[in-house]
Amino acid sequence: MTTPNEPQPKVDSLPPANPAAATASAAAVSAKPVAVASPQPTNPAQPLAPPAPPPPNPLAHLSLPFKGVDYKAKGYHCEATVAPDQVVAVAEVLDKEGLSLDTITGVDWMVEGQMEVVYDYFHPTKTLRVVVRTRIPRDNPEIATIYKVFPGANWHERETHDFFGIRFLGHPNLTPFLLPEDATFHPLRKDYAA
Amino acid sequence: METPESNAQLLSDCAPYVKFAKLDELLALGRANSLWPLTFGLACCAIEMMAAGASRFDISRFGAEVFRPSPRQADLMIVAGTVNKKMAAAVKTLYDQMPEPKWVIAMGNCAISGGPFVFPGQYAVVEGVDKLFPVDVFIPGCPPRPEALIEGLLKLEEKLTGKRRWPTVKPE
Amino acid sequence: MITKEAIMSNGAPSETFTLNLGPQHPATHGVLRVKMTMDGEYIVRAEPVCGYIHRMQEKMGENRTYAQFLPNTSRIDYLSAMTYTHGFVGAVERALKLQVPPRAEYIRVITSEMNRISSHLVWWGAFLLDLGGFTPLLYAFDDREKILDLLESITGSRLTYSYFRIGGVYNDVDDQFLKGTREFVAHMRPRLKMYRSLVTDNIILRKRLIDIGPISSEMCRKYGATGPVIRGSGVPYDVRRVEPYSVYSEFDFVIPTFQETDSMARYLVRMEEIVQSLRIIEQALDKLPAGPVMAEKVPRVLKLPAGDYCYATEAARGRFAVRIVSDGKEIPYRVKLRTPSLSNLSLFEEASAGMLLPDALALMGSLDLVIPDIDR
Repeated sequence: MTTPNEPQPKVDSLPPANPAAATASAAAVSAKPVAVASPQPTNPAQPLAPPAPPPPNPLAHLSLPFKGVDYKAKGYHCEATVAPDQVVAVAEVLDKEGLSLDTITGVDWMVEGQMEVVYDYFHPTKTLRVVVRTRIPRDNPEIATIYKVFPGANWHERETHDFFGIRFLGHPNLTPFLLPEDATFHPLRKDYAA
Repeated sequence: METPESNAQLLSDCAPYVKFAKLDELLALGRANSLWPLTFGLACCAIEMMAAGASRFDISRFGAEVFRPSPRQADLMIVAGTVNKKMAAAVKTLYDQMPEPKWVIAMGNCAISGGPFVFPGQYAVVEGVDKLFPVDVFIPGCPPRPEALIEGLLKLEEKLTGKRRWPTVKPE
Repeated sequence: MITKEAIMSNGAPSETFTLNLGPQHPATHGVLRVKMTMDGEYIVRAEPVCGYIHRMQEKMGENRTYAQFLPNTSRIDYLSAMTYTHGFVGAVERALKLQVPPRAEYIRVITSEMNRISSHLVWWGAFLLDLGGFTPLLYAFDDREKILDLLESITGSRLTYSYFRIGGVYNDVDDQFLKGTREFVAHMRPRLKMYRSLVTDNIILRKRLIDIGPISSEMCRKYGATGPVIRGSGVPYDVRRVEPYSVYSEFDFVIPTFQETDSMARYLVRMEEIVQSLRIIEQALDKLPAGPVMAEKVPRVLKLPAGDYCYATEAARGRFAVRIVSDGKEIPYRVKLRTPSLSNLSLFEEASAGMLLPDALALMGSLDLVIPDIDR
């Protein structure tokens, strides 16, 4: 099944996208290969142009599945897809690298039965923007909080809980943040009807 | 000796110097000349309300520059901005706390009908502040210019006194 | 003697009371409620409660086409609306690989910087109003009216411009605008000198702001605070320099940074930013190229390729970032707006513990919040 996060590459030389990487499995998940913008041959008789080299990975020195991303095309420098139980460890590593938390949000992939939690980080002194993604099952969306690593995550996680119903385990105060205090609905879910 | 003719003559002689009126009209004139708004800027329209209170547009000319922070001291609530369902209870409380006679101006599209934030499936915006309490003047715009706010104020004065006391600006 | 350290080390004293600041209060930040637990005049705990102006911007992103969402972007932070629209159209242009003509880019920079100046002027007037001085508000709004007249002549709107379009800007600038902008720059510089001597060097302001509300750069990093908050703590982080977008890399301007971390530092950062914005406007006016103001081949129906696209701009309050997740349709699948005021306010609870209430209000004013920016 196509994961909307990346278009299927048409050039034969690139490895096919692995849909299994999208589901949150217990084993460590390897990062999905990022589709690289390579010239598409219009006439099959023409020889294929060699694909452009992959963008550099500024976090290659970390033993984490980060991949470089073309900043001009996407707006961030590297990304990683990790298992939900790794987000706290990744946050700690990025904290030691000196990155700052940009935002945390969710995306409701209702058709696939998953919710994606996206963590954005930026570096305050270097040009570096990092995206960490994870997928959790939609009918029981739970994930550990990174509030102890980045206190700023407190409000972002409350907001994500407001909009999607994702429960952040260990959060000190998972009460409605933008919705009324007695709200029980989660409006940004795709099956929400007012 | 008083006759109806001499009384009429007396009244017309005094007319430039003395005004006779019903007490209602005098009170209405006093109220219209010194409407004290409640500082109730919620969102973007609040900035245009501040600009109306600043020196270029100057609602002080109409006696209304004294924005009171406390509803007990205000007689005009200018609802400038979007009213949320979470905020609606607070707005209603503020309205109830204002002493009579009180008036409400709904400034901007959000206060009139929810503004640009009404869409199928909307869950947070009260579609118009007149769902909460009666409104006297509606000023459309997103945000309305400070001149529009002043015109709304003058319309309210017209509602109070029964006639418009300031010239109408005709667009050229 | 009651000191902050005494309050923090003794834990919550037994006799405290709860004081509610807002959601309606005369400080013109908007509808923010702060639940404060007070020990006399000292704050033990200040917990901001948001959501009173939640206007469902992200949900509307899923209900509007890309072009229909443009007016929403102006209303997130209405004081620096241009930079927010810039973030959104930049993300769409990045996804569609649209080439914006150079004249449009320069016009975008000029109008964004003018908007930044007008936003800082409103902040300055309102901040002084919070601290008790009413006069600077009138001066600030007077200068601001000049900017608004200029921007109104090309955009048609005073506050919530939807001037940028996907592929360029909607209207070209005329000579009257260029002349008026140069006159404004010439008018503004002496005014800033007057503001410096009247307000910035004022002993009362200095006593109210110096050493009040220190925020370390580490706290900024942990909470994601950006903009003048992090620049007042010694870190020269500015999206225009770190992730240059549009044509900002062609201008020569300084990132004002102060090391003191107190409210005065944040105040001085913003006053200095007005000076730098005037510099950028002058350079952009000198370099403004001729040409069209809209890209040539903008598709009539905008459908972004599937995937997610980000764009970040430096708004007046800090880093504004947009993430659009598209599934190939006309309507975005998800629009995430990362707004600076939310991150800036999130450190208020930790930073204000043990402070006197008026000092905490000075701290909150120096963070420069616009509440619809938090609640979206």
